[in-house]
Amino acid sequence: MSTAMNFSSKSFAPRPPDKGAFPLDHFGECSAFKERFMECLRRSGYESAACRQSAKAYLECRMDRQLMANEPLEKLGFKDLINEKSEEKPEKS
Amino acid sequence: MPAGLRDAPVTWYTPCGRAVPPASEEGQPRAAPPGLSALCGGAAGRDGMRWRRGAARLGPPPPPPSTFPAPPLPPRSASARPGPVPLPAPFREPPRAAMALCGRGWARCARGLRLGALSRPGLGGTRGVRGSNPFTRQQEEEWRRRNRSAVGYIAAAAVGMVGLSYAAVPLYRLYCQATGLGGTTGAGRSAERIERMEPVRDRLIRVTFNADTHASMQWSFKPQQSEIYVVPGETALAFYKAKNPTDKPVIGISTYNVVPFEAGQYFNKIQCFCFEEQRLNPQEEVDMPVFFYIDPEFAEDPKMAKVDLITLSYTFFEAKEGQKLPLPGYQ
Repeated sequence: MSTAMNFSSKSFAPRPPDKGAFPLDHFGECSAFKERFMECLRRSGYESAACRQSAKAYLECRMDRQLMANEPLEKLGFKDLINEKSEEKPEKS
Repeated sequence: MPAGLRDAPVTWYTPCGRAVPPASEEGQPRAAPPGLSALCGGAAGRDGMRWRRGAARLGPPPPPPSTFPAPPLPPRSASARPGPVPLPAPFREPPRAAMALCGRGWARCARGLRLGALSRPGLGGTRGVRGSNPFTRQQEEEWRRRNRSAVGYIAAAAVGMVGLSYAAVPLYRLYCQATGLGGTTGAGRSAERIERMEPVRDRLIRVTFNADTHASMQWSFKPQQSEIYVVPGETALAFYKAKNPTDKPVIGISTYNVVPFEAGQYFNKIQCFCFEEQRLNPQEEVDMPVFFYIDPEFAEDPKMAKVDLITLSYTFFEAKEGQKLPLPGYQ
């Protein structure tokens, strides 16, 4: 860990997260979304790119239940998923 | 006065006041005139030298007083010599006074005093006016005064610089708060950046997760996935699980570590559960997500070319009530 006695080399400096800490989900409100995400990960061999929809759903769940600060999803890196959704809608309709 | 003195081109007087026939006489040796040693005593040669040099610079010295009536002053020829300064008014008096003050070799001494070469107050410090020449004392005092004020200004400037260096720390902090530049280095981790970044598809990185607790911490803390494959520039989600098996609420606080160390600067967490107190009630189990991304500049760093495994390691410590842990880099 960072307590290793390395005097010559630089030591690791942890940085605080950009948006702070997640409030704890004491009541398990978003556990279903989490389970869906974990299933997707196991299915896809733990590849993150395949499960971004589920991740987006989980974060939206958190935002709905005040477990996360509301933020437009583009700012969280889901810009392409949102564009896909808006593209799908006009196609469907 | 020897006859015909007024008609002679120039008459030189020794420092001791003895007249010397003009140099136009041929065959005259350049030795000190006879009787010089008797008058000047001591090292006549030295005095003689001084006399010769001094006389050459000063021009004809004033004549000795007692025996002769004062001859008229030589007219100042504007052309001839470059710059021997005429002696000031007091010296037109008998040089005996100057001799009393300066002793032997009065000509050079007097000149030096006049020009300030021998006793500059600045050089002499405050040890008192060297030479004690009453004629230049006023100027020396003025020099002293000016020097003292200059020293005062310089000392004030030095103290000001030291104070400024102390004040720089809070001032810089204020500046950083005002302009919002505090803490961000290199890659600016702003929301616009996340919005704009593009995933680099050809670098697949395996991120493994590790969970630790402090020895006295009774939580059971582990990751819910052992590894995840991400690409730089794409946000990813990962979960840890923590359970409090005790019958008392426990507050934990965590910190993280990234290995390899150089990759840690590219590992950016958007939101996680570290550095803040997390309270778990008895027998409670929670999911703790970590939302992160790897900076796209990771792919451009030559030092990271061989890195394809990054390990994220969290450690939980117990936080006692009211205890303020000094956590690195987090206010």
